[in-house]
Amino acid sequence: MRKKGLLVLVAGLCLVLILTALPFMAGCAPGGAEVYKVCITQIATHPDLDSNRQGIIDAMAEKGFVEGENVEYIVRNAEGDMTTAASIADYFVSLKPDVINAITTPSAQTVVASAEGTDIPVVFSSVTDPVTAGLVPSWEAAAPNVTGVSDWFEMPPQVELIKEVLPDITVLGTAYNAGEVNAAVQAQILNEVAPQYGLTVVEATAASTADVYAAGMSLVGRCDAVWIPTCNTVGGVGIESIIKVGEENQLPIFGSAVGMIGTGLVGGASVDYYWIGKAAGYMTARILSGESIADIPPIKSAVSTVVYPAAAERMGVTIPQAVIDKADIVIE
Amino acid sequence: MLDVVSGILSFSFYEGMVFGLVAVGVYLTFRVLSFPDLSVDGTFPLGGAISAVLIVDGVHPFAATLAAGGLGLCAGLVTGLLNTKLRLPALLAGILVMVGLYSINLRIMSGANVSLLREVTTFDKVGGFLGLSGGSIVASITVALSIAVIVFIILNWFLRTEIGLALRATGDNEQMVRGLGTDTDKNILMGCAISNGLVALAGAVVAQGQGFADVGMGIGMIVMGLASVIIGEGLFRPKGVARLLLAAVGGAFCYRLFITVALRLGMAPGDLKLITAVLVIIVLAVPYIRKKIRGEWIPPAVRW
Amino acid sequence: MSTTESNSILQLRNVSKVFARGTMDEVIALNGVNLDVYDRDFVTIIGSNGAGKSTLLNIVAGVYPPERGGKVVINGDDVTNLEEYRRAAYVGRVWQEPEVGTARKLSLEENLSLALLRGQRRGLRAAINKDRRQLFREALAGLGLGLEDRLNTPVGTLSGGQRQALALVMATVSRPAILLLDEHIATLDPKTAQTVLGLSDAIIERENVTAIMVTHNMELALRYGNRLIMMHKGRIVVDMGEADKKMLTVNDLVNAFEKAAGEQFKDDSILLSGSE
Repeated sequence: MRKKGLLVLVAGLCLVLILTALPFMAGCAPGGAEVYKVCITQIATHPDLDSNRQGIIDAMAEKGFVEGENVEYIVRNAEGDMTTAASIADYFVSLKPDVINAITTPSAQTVVASAEGTDIPVVFSSVTDPVTAGLVPSWEAAAPNVTGVSDWFEMPPQVELIKEVLPDITVLGTAYNAGEVNAAVQAQILNEVAPQYGLTVVEATAASTADVYAAGMSLVGRCDAVWIPTCNTVGGVGIESIIKVGEENQLPIFGSAVGMIGTGLVGGASVDYYWIGKAAGYMTARILSGESIADIPPIKSAVSTVVYPAAAERMGVTIPQAVIDKADIVIE
Repeated sequence: MLDVVSGILSFSFYEGMVFGLVAVGVYLTFRVLSFPDLSVDGTFPLGGAISAVLIVDGVHPFAATLAAGGLGLCAGLVTGLLNTKLRLPALLAGILVMVGLYSINLRIMSGANVSLLREVTTFDKVGGFLGLSGGSIVASITVALSIAVIVFIILNWFLRTEIGLALRATGDNEQMVRGLGTDTDKNILMGCAISNGLVALAGAVVAQGQGFADVGMGIGMIVMGLASVIIGEGLFRPKGVARLLLAAVGGAFCYRLFITVALRLGMAPGDLKLITAVLVIIVLAVPYIRKKIRGEWIPPAVRW
Repeated sequence: MSTTESNSILQLRNVSKVFARGTMDEVIALNGVNLDVYDRDFVTIIGSNGAGKSTLLNIVAGVYPPERGGKVVINGDDVTNLEEYRRAAYVGRVWQEPEVGTARKLSLEENLSLALLRGQRRGLRAAINKDRRQLFREALAGLGLGLEDRLNTPVGTLSGGQRQALALVMATVSRPAILLLDEHIATLDPKTAQTVLGLSDAIIERENVTAIMVTHNMELALRYGNRLIMMHKGRIVVDMGEADKKMLTVNDLVNAFEKAAGEQFKDDSILLSGSE
């Protein structure tokens, strides 16, 4: 009886496998102009990563690579699970695509690991420090088949904006997930830069989205304002909790990415994730047009200042008109 | 199409071997010892962290992997000691170790993540030996299979020794084992140590395979381990030590296969977990439905 | 019957046990008990609920120590303060419920292997080998229940009576100094109880085991064993040898009790269970 059960199981599995493989048989059909296969993987769902993805697609379209015409996109999202990210990476490699786009550091690392030994080009985006992550050997040169766009930003513009909005500030708080390497690096740099502007820094950490509210509350009364780094946990998924803390306690919260600020923060010096996505898209287009990756070094993104006056009011802050006029992006 | 199917099967086979180690570890504590050890979520990344840091420091990857397993053993000992010496309930002991290991892992890695992409890993060594790239599926399977086979042989022998038998009996009827003159506390320590050693070993292998160690890589490990064990028991109904070990690995293989298949079906992101759950339910419901159709008697469900 | 100090397997001297001392529920389970059990004795102990029978067995087995001043000596060694798991080598025990003495998920031969190493250091040798398997087969064959052909099946598939028979073999296979049977047929149906009791007697006889059996059934207490002890309120009130036992009926026993204890024998369950 047990043997029969095994047979049924094996038969069922074969059926399922055949069903899943069918779509790929269609992809092997001949005829028509060449259709490029481009895979995109991201680690989780949140506004900045989604703009990043959209930027890739839009930039590619600008350069003549349009979805449905000569490009087929295969998009997967790991929903925050690293093991899933590794599965996605391996899946993408098995598809033998023309280019793989990986959004954020863990997705990029798993893709590069899986693609080792193949010559599939990998373009990363929204990776804060690709050198430490082992993706490229240095900031100047691409790896044999890896390059991309980093969301690294300089800290001084962040602090300067905060001081312009709140000239009397002495203590700056920050909240982030110590388990996210990019956020931890930014917090470390904040600690180094802030004293140069006469500020002391207090920190609060949240190990997961459930801890974000408590981390935010722990900063109330300890600082004059809060700055959130590009942290997926606090600045991405958990940002609503932070906004709640800011509005309920009239504590100004500044951010570091447009999407983050757009949900309701006072402002910040942001890296534009849509811009990053487009840059990655342009790189992808160049690769598909025949350029060699070795000629495309990794790049950092430019910084734009963002202000959101209405949200600032909700947190008890009136942004000086001079600052609003100077800002690159004003959110209505 | 054949290479798509073989690609799916071979990757799931590789993952089945590696996560099978986790499943066997979970099986040893949860089923054999009746000791619900939750520290697995912390020992898995511990293994990854230790091996990554050692490899970056220039240690030979084989040694680094073994060292990771060794430290996992120590972590398991701590869980066991908290329970047997300080009389903390088993669940709490495991939770405390898991929580503590999060901070410890951060310290070990001096951060949240250590990249192994530019380092020589066990996969690279084995791949080089075979004349292949470290990233090839053949190298991956060779590594995973070798480790799994060695572990299986050792455990299969050990669980049949006098000490191993007493260990198995401790979970079944602790009072009887005490009455027969065995210090059951020592058995619990041994079981927890071996279990967490295996899990840390798996963590080291996974870290080298995926190219980095990350403090969050253990999240959901206990769930995966338990699901693998239960699926294996439900599908294969094993009796005897060897079959039970194989069933745990088989369950891990099936569980990873479901996830891989669900991924390739390409449903909307976020539905992946739901699809996996539905697949597991279908598989476990099949024997129940068959019995019902035949009008056979169905035993009541086990609690866990 | 010759009895000398030198072949006294078990000695209890001034053994008392108080539970919940100092509270409202304080109970004196044993009160200054003195007892000698000699080599090859088969003692049956009977008494009403609360008489102290189980407490006596627990003290012998080492589940808890007696009150200060009490002494337990087995085979000449003072084991008074040895914990249960250290005393395992001396004592084999069969409990009332078959589940307590056997490991449900393990096979018969695995259970027997565990029992064989009672009280000994366990090492890395294989738990079951050809010689041991042969030993187990012979031991189980002696039961006449066909269990020797089912060495590989899990114990959970056995019936209650079969499990209890297995527990019996497990308790004796390591040749302990003393065998304790703690109402071990109480949960079995009458026919199975009869079988298991018969087997107990046969094994005790054949292996020359020194045994103490606690039972609720006066008739069985009279029929089996070479010595009968009756307890009441933590004391031994009747202790008679084979010759005296053989001639008694249940009624005689009740009278003997009342004379010794100075009270009416009030435990209906014991009186009524005397009828088959």
